[in-house]
Amino acid sequence: MNNSFFEIFKIFFIIGIQLLGGGYVIVPLLKKYIVDDKKWISEEELVNLYAMSQCLPGIIACNIAISTGYKAKGFIGALAAALGIIIPPFFCIIILANILSGIVNIETVKNAFWGIRISVIVLILITIKDLWAKSVNSLFSYILFFIILICLLVLPVSPTVVIILSAITALISGQIRRKIND
Amino acid sequence: MIKLYFLLFTEFLKIGVFALGGGYATLPFLYYLQGQYNWFTLEELTNMIAVSNITPGPIGINMATYTGFTTAGILGSLIATFAIVLIPSIIVMFMTKLYSKFQSCKSVNDIFWGLRPAACALLASIGLKLLFQNIITEEEWAFPIHFNYQALILFLILIIPFSFFKKNPLLTILLGAIGGIIIKSI
Repeated sequence: MNNSFFEIFKIFFIIGIQLLGGGYVIVPLLKKYIVDDKKWISEEELVNLYAMSQCLPGIIACNIAISTGYKAKGFIGALAAALGIIIPPFFCIIILANILSGIVNIETVKNAFWGIRISVIVLILITIKDLWAKSVNSLFSYILFFIILICLLVLPVSPTVVIILSAITALISGQIRRKIND
Repeated sequence: MIKLYFLLFTEFLKIGVFALGGGYATLPFLYYLQGQYNWFTLEELTNMIAVSNITPGPIGINMATYTGFTTAGILGSLIATFAIVLIPSIIVMFMTKLYSKFQSCKSVNDIFWGLRPAACALLASIGLKLLFQNIITEEEWAFPIHFNYQALILFLILIIPFSFFKKNPLLTILLGAIGGIIIKSI
């Protein structure tokens, strides 16, 4: 089993290039390269690591890359995986950003980006719809959702504060709920 | 300049820890940064979201790299990208070592049960604000309503098919660009 730093880096670099569109896309790629080809972890381990990565802070795709890298070769493996998954998008963005800053004042490009901004709004609204279906489904979550939304629309609240307060609220209400049930 | 790099580092360190829930989770934080520091304009932010959607790599990483770059060049993008993954990666390694089999405890479940609606509300507030600014009144929160009809038409054209089909960011952005060029030239 070849699991040198460079080998791990190479595999995650290949995954990084193919990763288009956020967190969940990475799982089938990991299954193909890490589980089936390289056999660094088992399929069951992948499922567990994915469940864990979703419940920890950070970007999901990055978390799962780091944890599978760590499973394969400790700290060195985690470092190789993180670099492998970050470097391809990093350079893509730098190159694109440079190109765009050069052409963004051309009239046609401006018009195209005007339209793209509308696309972004559409994408955000569709994401909200998906998130809503998955997460806002009980009385508590309805109340929490609307209180937070109204606060955010009226006051300049920091998202950090919102996350901390709702975590505390959820923790306390969970304790109370279990007390009542007992 | 050193102060800007330091601020960039601490802000993205914070985003790394608190942005939960995949893909667009960093968005409310970046929107907030925009209001606080004016490192980039709102227009630039939406452009960055679009570019992050169509380039390979996790959207959260792409957004960090791009905003870092817009704010303070290549060094800025390195700092932002490094800062956003730093704390989560330490936690992830620690947890991977600790649990051979991950079992979520009751408290963690409770917290996530509350965080998901919160994350949804955060994104919804951004969605509504952008909707107002670009389509409904040209300001963040203002009445009376006076529609930007060009934007409204493109918005409807784009959103109707995607209420029936699966989300496809690449296609949505491509159609938006073509639609923008056509509508603005009429």
